[in-house]
Amino acid sequence: MKIAVLSGKGGTGKTTVSNNLAALVPEAVLIDCDVEEPNSHIFMVPLISGELEIQTRYPVIDEEKCIHCQKCAHFCRFNAIIAGPSLTMPLKDLCHDCGGCELLCPVGAISYENKDIGRIYSGTSRFGTRLIYGQLHIAELVGVKIINELNRQVKNMSLVIADSPPGTSCATVAALDDCDFALIVTEPTPFGVSDMKMVVELLRGKNIPFTVVINKAGLGNNEVYQYCNGENILISGEIPFDRSVARAYATGELAVEIDEEHRSLYLDLWRNVFAESEMNLED
Amino acid sequence: MKIAFCSKGCDLEAQVDERFGRADFFLIYNKETGEYTSVENMAKEAKGGAGALAVQQLVDNEVSVVIAPEAGPQALEALKNFNITVYSQNGAKTVQEALNLWSDEKLDPIEEPGKKGLHKV
Repeated sequence: MKIAVLSGKGGTGKTTVSNNLAALVPEAVLIDCDVEEPNSHIFMVPLISGELEIQTRYPVIDEEKCIHCQKCAHFCRFNAIIAGPSLTMPLKDLCHDCGGCELLCPVGAISYENKDIGRIYSGTSRFGTRLIYGQLHIAELVGVKIINELNRQVKNMSLVIADSPPGTSCATVAALDDCDFALIVTEPTPFGVSDMKMVVELLRGKNIPFTVVINKAGLGNNEVYQYCNGENILISGEIPFDRSVARAYATGELAVEIDEEHRSLYLDLWRNVFAESEMNLED
Repeated sequence: MKIAFCSKGCDLEAQVDERFGRADFFLIYNKETGEYTSVENMAKEAKGGAGALAVQQLVDNEVSVVIAPEAGPQALEALKNFNITVYSQNGAKTVQEALNLWSDEKLDPIEEPGKKGLHKV
């Protein structure tokens, strides 16, 4: 069972929710797929036992062989090759490593080289839960390969919680691979609702069942409740806005560590989400 | 020799565009014949790599000078590799003004790159 925690809007509480749940469920593996800015390790404080460098490939042109037919440049949908009548120039930062130009080149002038794009760290957290997280190197643009490797490492594990990237871009779609269920973290603000709608569309498009948790409940307005009601979306829990949570967060502590009240909020949320996901698995 | 301008329209009286990779049009002026053509910039709506696609279009049109507001690091390196000299359009409001300034050798070459694109793909 893989459960993705996502939101659309940044800052609604994906890390807060996924980390609090992971702290309560030590048999789970938490993966932090927000490789541009991972932060689960700040709260989980894992003892790192494994590291893996992730690479991507990019095209290199052999100008001796190149006949300047420009087929590669016309083919590349990411504009990663510029071709003129006497020069063919690859732009490695734009390449998505699809391999197409190498296959297409009629004279075998294109080969691929590797470059490091990020690193994966794995270890056991201070709660006993396993944490695997990826980190994109500075100045790198595309973290999808790192997320794919995170997915590969947890493929056969029985319970996985995935802290996903914000938005609905390639990285978020990658985090949803092999996902059985999703939990949308939203907040009762116009931005929270607006960005959540894109995530709902994405999840429905991928046929992934989901429910919603409303974080910072009590703030803003009731638009999110109306929207969920109108769309028949189940709300699995509400986490009230509470300064003590923010205060704890700022010192690297999770809500479940504050007191019994917060702990039971998340325990209830987990029971609801887990029950719902199991039910969908049976269907 | 062909000179390209980043333009908001299709003739010499058009405003210069304040973007390179995402300019509306490239107005390409032939110095020898005095004729010009306008090319709708395919890179305008590109999700990523707009600068690279813009350079490709200049290469396709055999341009050797481009008058631009700025060029990002990748585009500038590519322009250099394809022997296209970049001049700053600073001070010109229309393509005609930029052309006059360039003819009078009053435009400065751009040698330092501007901001890198976001590559949101």
